[in-house]
Amino acid sequence: MAEIEAFTVLFPEQRISQLKQRLQQALFPDELPDSGWDMGTPLSDIERIAKHWASKFDFQQAAAQLNELPQFKTKIDCEGFDPLSIHFVHLRSDNPNAIPLFFSHGWPGSFFEVYKIARQLTRSDNGGPCFHVVAPSLPNFGFSDGVKKRGFAIEQYATVCNQLMLKLGYERYVTQGGDWGEPPASLKSTQPGSRFPLPDGATPRELQGAQRTAWFLDEGYGYNLLQSTKPQTLAYALADSPLALLAWISEKLHDWTDNYPWTDDEICLWVSIYYFSTAGPAAATRIYYEMAHDRNGKYVPKDSMGKGFEGGVPGTQKITGAYLKKDHGTGVKIGMSHFPMDIQVLPSLYTNTLGNVVYEKEHERGGHFAAHECPDELASDLREMFGALDLRSA
Amino acid sequence: MRRPEHQSVILSNEFNIMDRIKAFAVSFPEAHVTDLKERLARTAYPDELGNAGWDMGTPLSDVQRICEHWRTRFNWKEAEARLNELPQFTTPIQCDGFEELSIHFVHVRSQSDSAIPLLFSHGWPGSFIEVSKMACYLTESQDNRPAFHVVAPSLPNFGFSQGTKKRGFAIEQYAETCHKLMLRLGYEQYATQGGDWGWYVTRTMSLLYASSCLATHYNMDVGDPPASLADSQPDDSHPLPPKPTSRELSGKTRTAWFDQEGFGYNMLQSTKPQTIAFALADSPMALLAWIYEKLHDWADNRAWSDEEICLWVSIYWFSTAGPAAACRIYYEMIHDKYGNYVPSDSLGQGIEGAVAGKTKVTRKWLKQDHGTGVKIGQSHFPGDIHVLPSAWTRTIGNVVFEKEHESGGHFAAYEKPEELLEDLRVMFRHDGEAGKLWVSSISTE
Repeated sequence: MAEIEAFTVLFPEQRISQLKQRLQQALFPDELPDSGWDMGTPLSDIERIAKHWASKFDFQQAAAQLNELPQFKTKIDCEGFDPLSIHFVHLRSDNPNAIPLFFSHGWPGSFFEVYKIARQLTRSDNGGPCFHVVAPSLPNFGFSDGVKKRGFAIEQYATVCNQLMLKLGYERYVTQGGDWGEPPASLKSTQPGSRFPLPDGATPRELQGAQRTAWFLDEGYGYNLLQSTKPQTLAYALADSPLALLAWISEKLHDWTDNYPWTDDEICLWVSIYYFSTAGPAAATRIYYEMAHDRNGKYVPKDSMGKGFEGGVPGTQKITGAYLKKDHGTGVKIGMSHFPMDIQVLPSLYTNTLGNVVYEKEHERGGHFAAHECPDELASDLREMFGALDLRSA
Repeated sequence: MRRPEHQSVILSNEFNIMDRIKAFAVSFPEAHVTDLKERLARTAYPDELGNAGWDMGTPLSDVQRICEHWRTRFNWKEAEARLNELPQFTTPIQCDGFEELSIHFVHVRSQSDSAIPLLFSHGWPGSFIEVSKMACYLTESQDNRPAFHVVAPSLPNFGFSQGTKKRGFAIEQYAETCHKLMLRLGYEQYATQGGDWGWYVTRTMSLLYASSCLATHYNMDVGDPPASLADSQPDDSHPLPPKPTSRELSGKTRTAWFDQEGFGYNMLQSTKPQTIAFALADSPMALLAWIYEKLHDWADNRAWSDEEICLWVSIYWFSTAGPAAACRIYYEMIHDKYGNYVPSDSLGQGIEGAVAGKTKVTRKWLKQDHGTGVKIGQSHFPGDIHVLPSAWTRTIGNVVFEKEHESGGHFAAYEKPEELLEDLRVMFRHDGEAGKLWVSSISTE
């Protein structure tokens, strides 16, 4: 078994000066006055943050901040692909009965999203269960290796993460995620043609959520469609222009959160994790493409269950979004924390279709990056959910 | 196709200087070219997955090669000379509710008295250059063939026209600009030719300025399935007629490809043009990859030369309004002047157009037959991005000319100039429905 090595984040000096030079020499577009955030990331914001990134952002301090949590790297095998060096945070609780918790970031997030909840989750004095926390950089993200072959799809990400937990000695573990689900047939049939059929007695959250979800699909989905189909065309922009990367990511940090008061330092740190990522800033968007295509590049329709499509490993069936949303009766216990300004805000009737939902909490505030925006609420939800479960039983 | 003797236009003798029309010559400023080369020299390339080909976007080896060409071999002086072979001008045009914009245009006049004024509208990522292969031939007056006066502008926000600084400059404003340009040139009644945004601009002209825009020729397929087809195949979003032609059959696959795999740029530019603006303004390589992907994917197996690609992209990099402005046409098509999203099935009623009191023009509205009497010509090219059955495209109005081609794609005037030229000559032949309009209009003078 290949070793687990300690890892320290370091932003190389030479690359920092290259970045600063590029920012200083950047050419800015114009902007239509009064467009605010409607047409995309505003010019004044990008001008200000770019200047901050080039002249005030303290890379040493940022690295020190990232190094506050213990990190490691280890090689993980993945059938059909070369072994990948996976970077991860691993914070153990003092309590030997702590529950192993696997935390997965998304896009444009990173392992850094676990930082506000990690320590409190490991503490055993909160009147609830405590956890050992494992938070990797997914392959193609952060300080993990990038994949060089086509076909590295969601099942490969899952395999790598599972292998990581096993390697750390955690044969049974719990995980943390977000809103997903399809309207149950009962709702669909009573409101045919409705984009988001709502149940009778829909809560204010669910009503407002339908509007929010509509906004996301109408106005906020372009990045998704582009990354799902032509990630390479976008790659040139994200690799060559730190300004482009900054605008691309900071738009989501603004639009997907609930008036979270991002500081320029925070934004620069989040974007730097992409700019200085091991795989390069373009690799991360491939996860979208591989979700929507089989390993031969064939387009997989959204409602497909994956049959007849080839998964990343020959002979395996592709895992699709529709497949993941179905209840497969595995018995996994599911918990849902709903945050009002997430990008898809769905009625409980939808999210309940995933399977055995044993825990549900509606929050009054918070958006897509819940662990970063509302760490106390999320940590409390985790303690509540897992405190009520008897995880020792099969 | 051999170039005919070029017909030069003497501006100052022909136009009253009071009409504020100035001669224009394209030039790529030295300092700006040097800056471009320096940026290309410090380009940071992404990696690429092996065997991705064109599936995931523009291939790395292509981008590297063309960037090198652009940086070291592209012949700037020759490019200028080539563009300046066509007589060009600028004139200020103001749309209601907006600032005056300097509009750049090609204008080639025919020697024939009975020539038909023809407005040619490019789209994205095209430009006025797309008229260059046909322009001089269109002006020829030989035998009984109809001749044309050719007007090909850079649309506002594109090429060497100015860009607007106000929100709400939508398809009706593009149409207004082109209509006013034709009037400025003394063409009170005219015909049009367009594809891509050129379809939308000229279609809008024919509906808003019906007494001037008498005939429209399109090289792009737009139209909803007629009720007869839609109702008989309710589960099929792309219902074919009984006995479809081979173009209509393969067109179903092609259209599905575009909608599934090729639409990302469209949705992005329609919703967040400002976010992508930073990429297109700061990285010439990003702009090149962004545009070249379309030149490859939307043309019918056309082998673009590196010189051509660099020229097409240069028109965007060196555009008057900057490379980001052009994307805004997408946004303004599906938002009202306040930035409210306009659903794709909307006819625009109750939604304010950019000018107070005016209903917004929507795609759905443009597809309807409004009975204006405009004579429509439709050339179908099998490699275009939407390849639709004739039954669909005929629903928009009185189609007096139609031709299915065996080859050719989205940039028809550039890929198949001879074929398109022939189509226009047939559509506007003197004894045809469209051509007759000018014969009669001349005889009434």
